[in-house]
Amino acid sequence: MDQFVHISPLLTALLTLIAPLAAFVYQAIVGKRDQSGLVSLTAIILSFIAGGLTWFSIWNNPAVSIQVNWFTIGETSFKVGILLNNLSTLMLFLVPTVALPVHIYSRAYMHGDTGIHRYWMYLSLFCFAMLGLVIMDSLLLMYVFWELVGFASYLLIGFWFTRETAVQANKKAFLVNRIGDLGFLIGLAILFTQFKTLNLIDLFGDNGLIYQSTIAQGLWISPVNSLPQIWLTIAGLAFFLAAMAKSAQFPLHVWLPDAMEGPTSVSSLIHAATMVAAGVFLLATVFPLFNESALLFIAIIGTITAALAAYFALGQYDIKRILAFSTISQLGFMMVGIGIGTWDAALFHLTTHAFFKCLLFLSAGAVIHEMAHLKEHSHLDFDPQDLRNMGGLRQYMPKTFVLMSIASLALAGFPLTSGYLSKDSIVISSFEWAISKGNLYLIIPISLILVSILTAFYIGRLLFKAFFGEFRLLKQLQGKLHDQPLHEAPKTMLIPMFVLGLFCLFPLFSFNPFSYHDSWLMDGLLLDEYAFSPSHSAHLIIPVILLLGSGIGWIIGWKWYVQNKYPLNAASQGLKAAFNQGYINEFYQAVFVNGTLKLAQFCYWFDLHIVDALISLIQFIVLSLSQLSVWIDKYIVDGFVNTVATVAYWTGNQVRLVQNGKIQTTLYSVFLLVLLGLIYLIFF
Amino acid sequence: MPILSLLIFLPLLATALILALPTRYKSSYKYIALAFTAIQFVLAGICYAQFDASKTGVQDLGGYQFIEQLSWIRLDLGSIGKLEIDYLIGIDGISMPLLLLSAFVMLMAIGASWNIQKSPKGYFALLMVLNMAVMGIFCALDFFLFYLFYEVMLLPLYFLIGIWGGARREYAAIKFFLYTLFGSVFMLLIIVGLYFSVINPLTGAHTFNMIYMMNPQNYLEGSIFGWEGYQEILGVSARLIGFIVLFFAFAIKVPIVPLHTWLPDAHVEAPTPVSIILAGILLKIGGYGIIRICYSIFPDMAALSNWWLGLIGVVSIIYGALNALSQKDLKRMIAYSSVSHMGFVLLGIASLTAEGISGAMFQMISHGFLSAALFFLVGVVYDRVHDRNIYSFRGLAQIMPKYTGYVAVAFFASLGLPGFSAFIGEAFVIIGSFNAASIGTGLPRWMALGGSIGILLSAAYLLWTLQRMFFGQIRLKGGESWSNALTDLNSREQIILFPTLALALLLGVMPALVFNNLNASVLNLVSFIQQFI
Repeated sequence: MDQFVHISPLLTALLTLIAPLAAFVYQAIVGKRDQSGLVSLTAIILSFIAGGLTWFSIWNNPAVSIQVNWFTIGETSFKVGILLNNLSTLMLFLVPTVALPVHIYSRAYMHGDTGIHRYWMYLSLFCFAMLGLVIMDSLLLMYVFWELVGFASYLLIGFWFTRETAVQANKKAFLVNRIGDLGFLIGLAILFTQFKTLNLIDLFGDNGLIYQSTIAQGLWISPVNSLPQIWLTIAGLAFFLAAMAKSAQFPLHVWLPDAMEGPTSVSSLIHAATMVAAGVFLLATVFPLFNESALLFIAIIGTITAALAAYFALGQYDIKRILAFSTISQLGFMMVGIGIGTWDAALFHLTTHAFFKCLLFLSAGAVIHEMAHLKEHSHLDFDPQDLRNMGGLRQYMPKTFVLMSIASLALAGFPLTSGYLSKDSIVISSFEWAISKGNLYLIIPISLILVSILTAFYIGRLLFKAFFGEFRLLKQLQGKLHDQPLHEAPKTMLIPMFVLGLFCLFPLFSFNPFSYHDSWLMDGLLLDEYAFSPSHSAHLIIPVILLLGSGIGWIIGWKWYVQNKYPLNAASQGLKAAFNQGYINEFYQAVFVNGTLKLAQFCYWFDLHIVDALISLIQFIVLSLSQLSVWIDKYIVDGFVNTVATVAYWTGNQVRLVQNGKIQTTLYSVFLLVLLGLIYLIFF
Repeated sequence: MPILSLLIFLPLLATALILALPTRYKSSYKYIALAFTAIQFVLAGICYAQFDASKTGVQDLGGYQFIEQLSWIRLDLGSIGKLEIDYLIGIDGISMPLLLLSAFVMLMAIGASWNIQKSPKGYFALLMVLNMAVMGIFCALDFFLFYLFYEVMLLPLYFLIGIWGGARREYAAIKFFLYTLFGSVFMLLIIVGLYFSVINPLTGAHTFNMIYMMNPQNYLEGSIFGWEGYQEILGVSARLIGFIVLFFAFAIKVPIVPLHTWLPDAHVEAPTPVSIILAGILLKIGGYGIIRICYSIFPDMAALSNWWLGLIGVVSIIYGALNALSQKDLKRMIAYSSVSHMGFVLLGIASLTAEGISGAMFQMISHGFLSAALFFLVGVVYDRVHDRNIYSFRGLAQIMPKYTGYVAVAFFASLGLPGFSAFIGEAFVIIGSFNAASIGTGLPRWMALGGSIGILLSAAYLLWTLQRMFFGQIRLKGGESWSNALTDLNSREQIILFPTLALALLLGVMPALVFNNLNASVLNLVSFIQQFI
């Protein structure tokens, strides 16, 4: 082992990052000629090994970083560098650890798809972007990878680009994420203005600039600049806006359920385990920036998101959408963890969630895979993702059932699973935090407890409806198929699921299955002192409440969904609202999308009929003036000249009559001239 | 070797050659044009390679490089003094990147003109004259010379749009010509005013030398644009009027809202290569003129009026983007997106911070070849079916996969995806304009926030277009005959597009390639203007 440790962690970290990039470039160049995906798979295996080595040598050791100059603008040099500390290496290892099983799984799941070369290319790009995001040492570079992650997600959601819903969904995802990106950019601008650097070590390292800055007399004073105090809050909220979009927090959560249009393997890796957690990671990174009000806001949004998403999950029938809402809900929990100041707990939940949510999606994918095959063979038209078409799958896919149950228990926070440890750490901490703050704050932990119970219920509903009872399509299928309608998933899919299943259990995270304080992960993130005092009774009572609540929920669920004693009216307003996600999408469509389009149309109308018309008006005026001057020229200036000419001509003509050669006429005109001369002399 | 003179006047040689060759050799015209432009590109590349990044330029003649100075016109005008017009050219960090960009975009434009059938002799001859004019504009340091090139540029453009354009080409050509002429006629007045205000400290004669115009000590006391006791015209400071007039002359080129309406018409009617030159080079002359002339000759007024400039920038960003969102004609949409993207240039320049101005310069470079690529891409589909309506196409990704790939990359690069050049430009414009308030340049912070909305809107219109035209099931207005006509990119088109987009990527990953050469000049400019804040 020793010689491994001697390899520089910087080198291994770079290898972790570059392997997927190389695979992406390779796949982009060869295109259709290589559909196997072996290069991408090899790359992620390399990443996994190198990431593991990096993590192993950095964990609980001093942070390591390296920088090279990138460019200089004005007097500021921007550098490219990587920063390896506990937080970043944890993520650096986590990402390939989840991505590797997904890659293996995809080889079976995506088999035979005509565009599979694109799939591998995008997947490698995503891994590269995600890994880059976690180890970059400056906020500018994080922003770069932050958007690249969103771009990769755009490509993968719209992987089946001939489907209208898929291309609508990826556009929506990118645009909603863009709103968050603006927050990130504004956060960057504020920090750069205030500190003249975006380097993480300079800002947040030991005795970093953030810690050196103070608040005095309404000003936020850093060693190099000062801004009005409000900008500190705005900076915090700007970064939170970024996290809200990426981590699908209310009210920007709307893109995630739609993102389920992508392949299920993608949903499991990107829209459940890694990318959506990037927001939590970002907040943990910039945590020292947040002041009281920003933190409280984060906690409140987290709670609302957790509650709302759990409620929406209850009304869904699409198996992937239920899981999507459960992801949103769990991300809400993590946000609360950040908001109450225990970002180590948030990160812990992020880690455990990555595994069990990934497994949940992969299991759902196995089910969908089989259902889709059935649809193909039987020529029946049904939605392979709809729970109402499933039921009794336990008999056909027992291994999938067991694995999915383990993951569901972890999600519900059942003892002996990893979810128990991490979720309790957030709920209990929030309780302790609320006690130290005051009674009103208790709303947050109480909501979280209720949401946890609801979580157990909706995931129970999913399991009961899909795996228990009778297979609902059996009647329609009669006579159409020769053997069993459904089979267990192929080994290539099952093995990665099995590995993830192991990761859903407690021993991997803590040797004491009942106390998160013993978890190596929480220890390693070294947030030894919370701002509030621990409460021993909470450690005992809350888990018991949660367990009892979940148990009752499952019993009810069993009665309703397995024994078919469903007492509620499915058409009731409450359930319809849950199914339609609270009509939020419709509201956004009507107000923001149509509003913007209307505004855009108005602008174009304005451009054509006001701005350009003004130009036309000027043109008209100039032309009219020139016509006027033509008229003047013709009838006045020229007219005068012509009149003079005409008069002269006429006079000439008259005078000509005199020259007729007769002596009388000559004498007569001489006389006339003399007369005229005399008149002139007399009168003038 | 007088490298800049060669760069400027080589195309003139090409024009002569093309005009001299009889029409039966007409297939050779494009090769002549291509060869000369390629030599120009190499020369511009040599300039880039030999450029000394530490030299400052801007208001310091010693900081310019590749200077050539010849006395051109000397007239003794008796009591008015001596007329002194120099052939003075040279480049600094502000003009050098634009020079290289122009050479590159010209090369693209020649490539896009490959299939011109209508009287190629006139076409390529005019194109080469245009080429000479733009190179001259970026090099000229004598205001008279600058104005000369500036006006010469209009002539070939007028004919290129008016003869080789689309259905309403004559309307568009006249509109373009008059708009620009309107700005430049008044510019001439200011030039004359400046001429009588400034003397050459060495000879004591009045001068058109722009560098002398930038030094307050060269102004005659009591002259119209003199610094001592501002002269007033109708109660407004004459220097302010001079600044505003020059600003509008260049702002029409940028273009700013509300003086932008020539742009969509000119673009829609112009043939693809002319669109490429318009978007890739011409708009940059506006931005360049504001920095080189308005800001450097009137630094005091720049510091005074940057609030308004910033406002115009923000309005252009948002208004242009909203207009782009409601377009049905693909080319018109991209034309409006140019208005929006050039708004960032104005906002960055107005910030008067090193980050903002560098960002603006970078945005100009980046927009130069990205918009050229976008117009080229529009030309590809228009060449094949003579339709540009977004709603006439659907599901193109299945018929033209390579084309779709290039369009997607160009769109994402334009909407500011990190890794591509536009991101660096826009991000630093936003950061710089946000930072401006701390330096006291008078640009409020909300303008930075307003500008960032443009980034969101640009994603909206580009992605929406991508979705409407390229994704989904195939549905073409022209049916079967269209799907046969819509062949994927050929190798000529790929040879043009690939380097362009690769360059966008290269500059996005290694912005130092531009910033290094830019930095000394920008810092000098910023500190020059800072004295007057």
